[in-house]
Amino acid sequence: MNFVVPDFYPAAAEIFVAVMALVIMLSTTFARSIARSLGYFLCQFTLIAAAFITIGTMHGEVSYTFSNMFISDLMGDFLKVMIYFSMAIALLYGRSYLADRNINKPEYYLLAILMTLGMMVMVTSNHMLTMYIGLEMMSLALYALVAFDRDSARSTEAGMKYFVLGALASGLLLYGMSMVYGATGTLEFSGVAQSVYNQAANKPVLLFGLVFLIAGICFKLGVVPFHMWVPDVYQGASTAVTLILATAPKLAAFAMAVRLLIWGLFDIAEQWQTMLMLVAVASIILGNLAAISQPNIKRMLAYSGISHMGFMLLGLLSGVVEGDRHFALNAYSSAMFYAVAYVIMSLASFGMIILLSRAGFEAERIDDFKGLNKRSPWFAAVMMFVMFSMAGVPFFIGFFAKLSVLQAVVAAGYFWIAAVAVVMSVIGAFYYLRVVKVMYFDEPVDTAPIHAPAELRVLLSANGIAIAALGLAPQALMSICAYALLASL
Amino acid sequence: MEFKTFVFYFLSAILVFAALRVITARNPVHAALFLVLAFFNAGGIWLLLHAEFLAITLVMVYVGAVMVLFLFVVMMLDINLERLRQGFWSYLPVGALIGILLVIEMAMVLGGRYFGLDAMPVPPEPMAGFSNTRELGRVLYTDYVYPFELASLVLLVAMVAAVSLTLRKRKNTKYIDPSLQVSVKREGRVELVKMQAEKED
Amino acid sequence: MTDMQKLYLLVPLAPLFGAIMAGLFGKTIGRAGSHIVTILGVAVAFAASVVIFQDVQAGNTFNGTLYTWMQAGGLTFEVGFQIDALTVMMMLVVTFVSLMVHIYTIGYMSEDPGYQRFFSYISLFTFSMLMLVMSNNFLQLFFGWEAVGLVSYLLIGFWYERPTAIYANLKAFLVNRVGDFGFLLGIGLIAAYTGSLNYAEVFAKANELAGMNMDVTGWPLLTAICICLFIGAMGKSAQVPLHVWLPDSMEGPTPISALIHAATMVTAGIFMVARMSPLFELSDTALSFVLVIGATTALFMGFLGIIQNDIKRVVAYSTLSQLGYMTVALGVSAYSAAVFHLMTHAFFKALLFLGAGSVIIGMHHDQDMRNMGGLWKYMPITWFTSLLGSLALIGFPFFAGFYSKDSIIEAVHASTLAGSGYALFCVMLGVFVTAFYSFRMYFLVFHGKERFGHDHGHHEHHGDHDDEEPATDHHHGLAPGQKPHESPLVVTLPLILLAIPSVLIGFFTIEPMLFGDWFKGVIFFSEHHEGMKELAENFHGPVAMALHGIQSLPFWLAMGGVATAWFFYMIKPEIPAAIQRTFKPLYTLLDNKYYFDRFNEIVFAGGARLLGKILWKGGDQGLIDGLMINGSARLVGWVSRISALFQTGHLYQYAFTMIIGVFVLLTFWLNRA
Repeated sequence: MNFVVPDFYPAAAEIFVAVMALVIMLSTTFARSIARSLGYFLCQFTLIAAAFITIGTMHGEVSYTFSNMFISDLMGDFLKVMIYFSMAIALLYGRSYLADRNINKPEYYLLAILMTLGMMVMVTSNHMLTMYIGLEMMSLALYALVAFDRDSARSTEAGMKYFVLGALASGLLLYGMSMVYGATGTLEFSGVAQSVYNQAANKPVLLFGLVFLIAGICFKLGVVPFHMWVPDVYQGASTAVTLILATAPKLAAFAMAVRLLIWGLFDIAEQWQTMLMLVAVASIILGNLAAISQPNIKRMLAYSGISHMGFMLLGLLSGVVEGDRHFALNAYSSAMFYAVAYVIMSLASFGMIILLSRAGFEAERIDDFKGLNKRSPWFAAVMMFVMFSMAGVPFFIGFFAKLSVLQAVVAAGYFWIAAVAVVMSVIGAFYYLRVVKVMYFDEPVDTAPIHAPAELRVLLSANGIAIAALGLAPQALMSICAYALLASL
Repeated sequence: MEFKTFVFYFLSAILVFAALRVITARNPVHAALFLVLAFFNAGGIWLLLHAEFLAITLVMVYVGAVMVLFLFVVMMLDINLERLRQGFWSYLPVGALIGILLVIEMAMVLGGRYFGLDAMPVPPEPMAGFSNTRELGRVLYTDYVYPFELASLVLLVAMVAAVSLTLRKRKNTKYIDPSLQVSVKREGRVELVKMQAEKED
Repeated sequence: MTDMQKLYLLVPLAPLFGAIMAGLFGKTIGRAGSHIVTILGVAVAFAASVVIFQDVQAGNTFNGTLYTWMQAGGLTFEVGFQIDALTVMMMLVVTFVSLMVHIYTIGYMSEDPGYQRFFSYISLFTFSMLMLVMSNNFLQLFFGWEAVGLVSYLLIGFWYERPTAIYANLKAFLVNRVGDFGFLLGIGLIAAYTGSLNYAEVFAKANELAGMNMDVTGWPLLTAICICLFIGAMGKSAQVPLHVWLPDSMEGPTPISALIHAATMVTAGIFMVARMSPLFELSDTALSFVLVIGATTALFMGFLGIIQNDIKRVVAYSTLSQLGYMTVALGVSAYSAAVFHLMTHAFFKALLFLGAGSVIIGMHHDQDMRNMGGLWKYMPITWFTSLLGSLALIGFPFFAGFYSKDSIIEAVHASTLAGSGYALFCVMLGVFVTAFYSFRMYFLVFHGKERFGHDHGHHEHHGDHDDEEPATDHHHGLAPGQKPHESPLVVTLPLILLAIPSVLIGFFTIEPMLFGDWFKGVIFFSEHHEGMKELAENFHGPVAMALHGIQSLPFWLAMGGVATAWFFYMIKPEIPAAIQRTFKPLYTLLDNKYYFDRFNEIVFAGGARLLGKILWKGGDQGLIDGLMINGSARLVGWVSRISALFQTGHLYQYAFTMIIGVFVLLTFWLNRA
């Protein structure tokens, strides 16, 4: 057996980010006096440069390297770029917030960049081992980030909970992977797919493993019944971390679901579709109902996130109908569009909380948004865009995201799911509109002027405008999603 | 019954017993020691499968390093056992029910039907001079170099996380920076001041 | 994109830019900045329209998509322009009148705190109207349709502190909703049966549609489509019985009454039907429906103009009546005559409204004609331009209105469609009525005794009828002894500029527009509707037409109307009062506007309220509140409690939930396998 040096070119971005992580670690250690801003700027530089590298090394075909453990395709590249993008924005939004609370240590940025690397590994993995390692890298960094505000009891408690439950979920996932290995004799996704296709796999064992895989995926997505950590962790973590937690990892989890289920186990799609159906419907129902009674906006957004992830799953579960794979591309691209749309909306919603927070004050309650229109009509409008978009009001991006997954579900013939989803999103509109109502019709409780650095204001405005603009012209993003999937499948 | 089969069942029985005791033992130190026992038996089973290197590593790393560290931690932290056990009995029935059902369901799949010798045949005896360690080492640094490198980064994440979450500078510490001590110059130690012998009016 | 396409795009976008600047940055750029930027925007649009007009004259039309918004289920949603003779004429009229109104507004609104907001709205309106007329598909048409409706709603309620304004804009909104419902149904039917929203594609299938019947009901499809579309037009163009909102819309500032509720928006319905002529031509039933509705509006709304005392309301009812004339023309397939009248009407009606506005400024916002009189001395420009506008309105030979109105009457005369006899009667009598109320207003305002400046306690006729209250509520009037004065140049300049086309445009454009090739390929006639052809045979040039007009019945009817008005209001002012006493029931009927409002209030509003009450008490409180809302609130509360029960914060419970999840999935799968 001769060893061939692997082709590093497709993994250029991963290698770059890994090297930069070490550079950040060492440079901030030695340049202690400017470490905080150095860490931040190096981090942003890394993300931007990685985006250029990813786009630069992008090519339309699917290629493998590192003994087929690494896959490079358009879907991965697109998701990676979206991950850099959302991480960069999340870090930018959070910067002043962290500085106000004196937790803007260089380690924060180091962990963020390592977490990004973990997500990149997940997105580009073609092997269960690398998928798991990527997942652990991301999760470990996230556990630490959640507990980063270590003097806050809530933050450390949230970190602890997330860690223990995450470890349990990792265990379940690993168990599932080992079962899949037992059934097919390989851990490589294409090998698994091949084995299933040839009927060589031991099917009962494979399906047994599938249950655990689904459990692991669902935990990362935060859907019922693996959602219990979501509200507590979203609320407990400092808002800057919640912002990170609610955005890029969702894309990575989406990639994990796609790689494991579609790349690896597409031939037993009908089996996992049924399982996803259960969790998706449960999430949409529970997420929307539970969000209604939340006075804390972070908690409300956590439940809303649960229901959004349920919606996203609707796209994944309507790909194959009775052996007919006709709808698959459409359905999966609608799910991808949903995930991207959710990330964009989520960035803006937590960004608004950060905007209204200041040293010693967390704008966490819905009441803190009272009368925002009087304090800043423009940002009230931005928040209104976000809420409308999340509620699925027409001509915001969220509307098209919901529309496209519902179309996929209807095309697959699951009318009852579509009906439940529509009814639940109508109920869900209530709590989004309540925020709009308090902003516009109630008297402000908190009358302090809004203090925020210019870059946060500008970018948050742009984010709000993007939500509206993408709703007016969703076609481009939809086509990108469809094209990226088409070129990768 | 072949001798190997007897050894397998013997080790497995102890393994299962030890694993059960890990979660049922009242004293955390005992629990940790049972875990050590479980690791030893798992190592034994691996030896039966010709995975000598892994077996040795398991004992060395987990028993020799991790568990010893863990034992120290457990012994140093004074854990209130009664608080930990609160609610244990009230949750036991439901938990046990679900647990037993899960075990039954798992047994349906994991039983001999799919994992018996006909479904999963014994791997062929290795040739003479076959080195488990060498084989592992070879694939680890060639085919698996990517996950190997990534694993090192995971460890880095863990290190950074642990340090950043726990390292604190105490305010009342009496620590003196040696580099400052060394770099002190004569002028810094004693300062000669010129002054009048008498006070002028 | 070619240069011309960029120019097409510039026409709607320039006013939009102005609207955005004035709307969002009004405070920053100030009052002057706002009117400069919006006027500039509209002026650019007007200039571009002129260039496009010349281009179209040279024979370059355009029909194409500029931007595809999305494709869903086989339907393409896109933004596209169709530039042809009809469009470019509308563009010219809209941008020109809008430009005049923008300039006029500087003077009229000079003291209003909502100055920037007003400019922003009217520019936004111009953008919406241009999108409507330039569209090449139903979606964009509907967008423009709703957008002008929205701006109209905003502007009627511009003075939102006044309860009457709020009432009026709510009314306009609700009534238009009825029309829009029909319109949307029509578009929906078209989309359902042709699978396209593009005009050209739909028209290509028109003959196919004509032979079809609707799936469920078996109605002839095309008739259903046309009537649905026309219901939309009835709402927007204020045809009986959906006309009730237009008189009330006079609550808005006068410039928008001129721009939106006289010259442009209300003619959108006429424009739309003319644009859809390939469809309407294929359904005689729909055309008869159009004809009868139009004729009824033309005559009966004219009657109401006779008894109004609010100067703006007289003009408003005259607008209703003139819209009726246009609709009649549509009904007899004289689409070009309808559009021709639309154009001339836009100029002279905008002139009359702005003239009325000028009078209102001079009278310090007193709108009651009984307090005016003899104003010609004090406001010479307003007086003279209003006289020209009135002459154009009554169809005095050589004036613009003459050519368009006479053509319509001739076309009705030539028509053989069911209902054309009734229509002819209505339009003939309408001429007399128009002349009467127009000159009643003219004499009351500009001639006779000077009735202003007294302590004209408007309280004595307070409560005469409900709808007059708005006029008296907010008028300030002249103090005793104070004289009215001529308005500033920004007000009178638009009057003069509008007076020119009001007089001349008919003379110069009748030949190309009605009898030439101008609308060839744009407006479609079927073989058996040959009213226009007959007209063309009898046409021997504008001068001959005017000279012939003097010998015809409509001219003498108009003169009769003028004479009657002169006699009643200049010579023997006691006669109207006597008539009013003698024919009390008739007067009461007119005064209550045929009880349309009362009817609507009792039957529709009352019915809706009753239905609402039934649904509320029985359905809502009983079923929905009791069972579903409270029930679902209870359910939600229950679910929340349950989820709170689980969301204890205890780690082991969370973990246990996950295990249960795995257990459920595993069990589920094991049962299936």
